[in-house]
Amino acid sequence: MTTILGVPSAVLYGQLLLGLINGAFYAMLSLGLAVIFGMMNIVNFAHGAQYMMGAMGAWFLLNYLGIGYWWALILAPLAVGAIGIVIEMLLLRRLYKLDHLYGMLLTFGLALMVQGMFSDWFGSSGQPYSIPQALMGGNHLGFMFLPNYRAWVIAASVVICLGTWYVVERTKLGAYLRAATENPMLVQAFGIRVPRMITLTYGAGVALAALAGVLAAPIYQVSPLMGADLLIVVFAVVVIGGMGSIMGSILTGFLVGIIEGLTKAFYPEASTTVVFVVMAVVLLIRPAGLFGSKPEAAQGQPQSSLSVPAPSARTQNLIFLTVAACLAAAPIVVYPGFMMKAMIFALFACAFNLVAGYGRLVSFGHAMFLGSAGYVCGHVAKTWGLPPELAILAGTATAAMLGFVSGWLAIRRSGIYFAMVTLAFAQMVYFVALQAPFTGGEDGLQAIPRGMLFGLIDLSRPANLYTFVLAIFLGGFFLIMRLVGSPFGRVLKAISDHDARAQSLGFDTSRYKLVAFTLSAALAGLAGSTKAIVSQIASLTDVHWSMSGEVLLMTFLGGVGTLYGPLVGAFIVVAMQNYLAAFGQWVTVIHGLIFVVCVLAFRRGIVGELIEFWHRRRRAPAATQTVLRKVAVATKE
Amino acid sequence: MPETLTVGNLEAWYGESKVLHGMDFSVRAGEVVTLLGRNGAGKTTTLKAIMGLLDKRSGSIALNGREIIGAAPYDIARKGIAFCPEERGIFASLSVRENLLLPPKVAAGGMTVAQILELFPNLKERLDSQGTKLSGGEQQMLALGRILHTGARILLLDEPTEGLAPVIIRQIGRTITELKTLGFTILLVEQNVGFAAGLADRHYIVELGRIVEEIPGAAFEGRLGSLKSYLGL
Repeated sequence: MTTILGVPSAVLYGQLLLGLINGAFYAMLSLGLAVIFGMMNIVNFAHGAQYMMGAMGAWFLLNYLGIGYWWALILAPLAVGAIGIVIEMLLLRRLYKLDHLYGMLLTFGLALMVQGMFSDWFGSSGQPYSIPQALMGGNHLGFMFLPNYRAWVIAASVVICLGTWYVVERTKLGAYLRAATENPMLVQAFGIRVPRMITLTYGAGVALAALAGVLAAPIYQVSPLMGADLLIVVFAVVVIGGMGSIMGSILTGFLVGIIEGLTKAFYPEASTTVVFVVMAVVLLIRPAGLFGSKPEAAQGQPQSSLSVPAPSARTQNLIFLTVAACLAAAPIVVYPGFMMKAMIFALFACAFNLVAGYGRLVSFGHAMFLGSAGYVCGHVAKTWGLPPELAILAGTATAAMLGFVSGWLAIRRSGIYFAMVTLAFAQMVYFVALQAPFTGGEDGLQAIPRGMLFGLIDLSRPANLYTFVLAIFLGGFFLIMRLVGSPFGRVLKAISDHDARAQSLGFDTSRYKLVAFTLSAALAGLAGSTKAIVSQIASLTDVHWSMSGEVLLMTFLGGVGTLYGPLVGAFIVVAMQNYLAAFGQWVTVIHGLIFVVCVLAFRRGIVGELIEFWHRRRRAPAATQTVLRKVAVATKE
Repeated sequence: MPETLTVGNLEAWYGESKVLHGMDFSVRAGEVVTLLGRNGAGKTTTLKAIMGLLDKRSGSIALNGREIIGAAPYDIARKGIAFCPEERGIFASLSVRENLLLPPKVAAGGMTVAQILELFPNLKERLDSQGTKLSGGEQQMLALGRILHTGARILLLDEPTEGLAPVIIRQIGRTITELKTLGFTILLVEQNVGFAAGLADRHYIVELGRIVEEIPGAAFEGRLGSLKSYLGL
């Protein structure tokens, strides 16, 4: 048997083929993302769900209506595309003038809803979809066996990619699209119905995802979550390639697939993480991406943050003490286990809010800090037998280090790219946690000892444990409160308002961002470590992307950029999990729905809206400020 | 002679701030009419309001006696009004040819590409270049050329001389005169009084979102002195 660099050639060719297949899907999906982003400035987080809907559609057509593959190849994309058109007209249309992040949040919510519903109807296990009769079998090429269906997928994806490229870059319709990407108003003034064009573009991009889904159905298992994990890799592909060019997306997609295939052949352990490593390297060398030439797209209207001045330090301290007293007294009426869980998540959400709310760096990967700190804390306490305070310290330090390294790379980009980069890094941490020997893989770490705090206080006694969690939460919260009010916090806010302007005033803005990000990671790690001690387990749930989504949900629901918003949000979300647990997958659907409603109806969150309402009623100068701001924004356009 | 474009009591807002406070003017078929005024007087806003590019406007805009203020932006172009924006609005991701052919035909009788290239010979050599790789003057010619191709008979030109060398400005002036002889109706926004003086049949002076005076072309030279106070020259 011939070998190449120690790997049997058959294995190498096999993995290369697999890489090429994966690359075909990366290319088709990142292509759709690029088209949608170019036209609408929306990162379509629902792209993975729509890909899944394509595959599911094919499966349903076959199993319930007896309609085969070839018809599914046409019908499923048409149906999903039509759903996309409805989504654009009902929801996305309202977001075009807002910060791009809102589009990402809304489509994230939609993705959760769709995935939750399908999981409920379908169960989360995969179902096979058989290869159509005409494409069964394969050919011996002399050096390897090539199954016909795989050859078909590669050929079809190349045709689809090049076809899309041709339409966008070489036709009249493409000229309209490119022109409308640059200056929709002017194109409109030439007599072209731009809004309708945007609707159709979204429909087409979504249909493209569904088409990829149908192509994928016979290769991968058809399951409700097949798109979610794929999409994260596609985001990494998008960061590597840059979203500026269609051809760039296509080439990067195939390139990444091939790199992955080669890694599987030569060093299989790294095959799931190599994409993210490539992304990190690209961020170091060419932050704009391999094919990205466009500078970061200008942000829309600033986040609708509060225009109300913060209360005085005295009032703040008073509120803080009241909250502390309430939390201390709560176990009398509320189940303490719930309170502890909620406080830990509240600390996590407050930590997240430090960067997302005050620094406007919305991370989609904060679970990596919560989860990795939990693992380290658990491992240190269980295997090394260190006391809880040192275990927590170790976990927090790990999260801080991870935050420093990932932050150092991620802050090279901002806005939606920052979100995608952090999401990708978190996914990498997830895969490491899945494979590393000390994390226990799928089982996680169990029976982590609570131990004796400072060798004196027995944390296995409920009252002690509660006090301990309360102290950690209040300590973390107080730190964040003081940070936000400090000069550091103000500079951070200034940077989030206008990075370049803050730079021109002489601030080293990336240093501030990095410090804030590291601090936020450390506090998230503190929450994660405490969680490991309290719940006595550390599991994959805490590093999964859905956890990052949950912290986003808590913060946005409660009020991003408000001190107490994340606290309120965390309590609501944890309560929902506890009391709605019987609804199973519908909890995910509700989460998604809350995202959608938050983005559409109350972007300030519960606490933010309450503060605004309070000030409007008192007719405080805050109201005038809001008006002035609106005018300033409008005249800039 | 029938009036072609009549604007009555036109008001317009950017967000909450009101910019046009009741513009009244008209452009008759075949005329060249200018809107003159200082920065921020509302000239560009008037053109944008006519094209329907503002969120909020009220009053009346009549095209050949038919009210069009309620029409969608894409529909206004289709009724035969073409817009050449300030700073030219050339698309960077389109080639010169694509830029030239981008605006769809709205009526029969538009100029052919050959005729446009005859009018602007500079563009002939550059058809396959990227749109924004052209010089400022060439970009202005491209911006003018692309709206001639659509068949629209009313042209709204927003400061076609902005930032251009005198020799190019003279060339643009000759082109506008030629367009007039071809029967186009032109509403021109200008700050360059000298340029406008030789071209227009009538001038409107815009101040704080209103027309404050109408001056016939013939009387313009004699009025330059008092105009200086309006225009802050």
